[in-house]
Amino acid sequence: MRDMSKFADIQIDPGIVKRAARGDVRAHEIIYRAFSSPVYSVCLRFTRVPAQAEDLLQETFIEVMRSISKFRGEAPLGSWIRRIAISKALMYLRSAWHSRGQSLDDDWDEVTAGGAEVHGVPGRPDQALDLDAALGNLPPVSRAVVWLHDVEGFTHREIAGLMGKTESFSKSQLSRAYRRLRPLLDPSVGNTATGSVLRGPALQSC
Amino acid sequence: MTDKERMDEAIAGGLDESQRDLLRARLSALPDTVPPRAVWQRIEAQARAEGLLSGTRFRQSSKWLAGAAIAAAVAIVVLRLPFTAGPAIDTQSFGTEPPLAEMQNNNGLHAVNALMVQSQRLERNLRALPGQPSVMRAGTAATIYELEAGIAAIDSRLNHSEDSLTQEQAEIYWRERVRLMDSLVRLRYAQAQRVSF
Repeated sequence: MRDMSKFADIQIDPGIVKRAARGDVRAHEIIYRAFSSPVYSVCLRFTRVPAQAEDLLQETFIEVMRSISKFRGEAPLGSWIRRIAISKALMYLRSAWHSRGQSLDDDWDEVTAGGAEVHGVPGRPDQALDLDAALGNLPPVSRAVVWLHDVEGFTHREIAGLMGKTESFSKSQLSRAYRRLRPLLDPSVGNTATGSVLRGPALQSC
Repeated sequence: MTDKERMDEAIAGGLDESQRDLLRARLSALPDTVPPRAVWQRIEAQARAEGLLSGTRFRQSSKWLAGAAIAAAVAIVVLRLPFTAGPAIDTQSFGTEPPLAEMQNNNGLHAVNALMVQSQRLERNLRALPGQPSVMRAGTAATIYELEAGIAAIDSRLNHSEDSLTQEQAEIYWRERVRLMDSLVRLRYAQAQRVSF
């Protein structure tokens, strides 16, 4: 796994971790303040629903509190917390709470049936200017695969393990997502957007 | 073209290496979102309820628990109102009841706090569900009404008797509230599922 996510940039003093392992609320609050934004952002990317992302954030840090005494420091704390958050977010995608009861199966048919695009041509030109919106229009599982692979640096094998699927499934999801996102990478689009593609708008919580 | 090259090209989804790098850079550059401040308070409350934190900061209002006085025996009857015939919904996929062993291991105060947190979580789950359909089965509507009425009765009791409830009584009320909320969420969820299909 290429550790290229924002989690890896956050350093926590080992003394804080030890205090947290003893149940020190201040230490836990420090850890929360350090990692809450990246955790929440990942959860929001996966779910697109602020209320659910908040719940996943809560579940993640409760799990951190339950388990931090077992954390041995062999990997960075951020990687450990990220793993918990991603696990929770994927559980959400598998859960009954996920809208329409979708499973972690191939759900591209539903998306393409909606007429969004065929063969990489965006249905609405303005969506090509907005990476965040384009991500949001991917099927949830594909969005998760893109994020895990391209941002968090997970391999297809790792993604397959996390999702309980095959490597081929992960590769297929990524490939189809790339085809959908390809118009965003057209240099002429980037120029006319005066760089707005690079700055996709932040998701807003409500 | 070798098989491996064909596979790599398929995975790339038509993107060349520079485009993939560009996409990764743009994805990584998407800004993080700061969560609402209230989330930490909820986490802290749940963690304290589960006994995960040490320290002396205790923010839960214990006034109404400490002021245990009159046993609200009549109120307990309210809890046994006809809510036992819940809707036939799969109960395996939710898991909202606290583990029995965990609850028994906590003292009464922790149990009440845990139930309060659980109740809040169910409220949030309920809010996250789509609104009720304009047309629904009469039986479903009646059950929803009964559940909501039961919850309202408990809320009323908790709000107006907070200084007179013993810890045990409060726990009974909160446990019943969680049970009713759980039934309501299950019913509304099943309803939403039916509407979506």
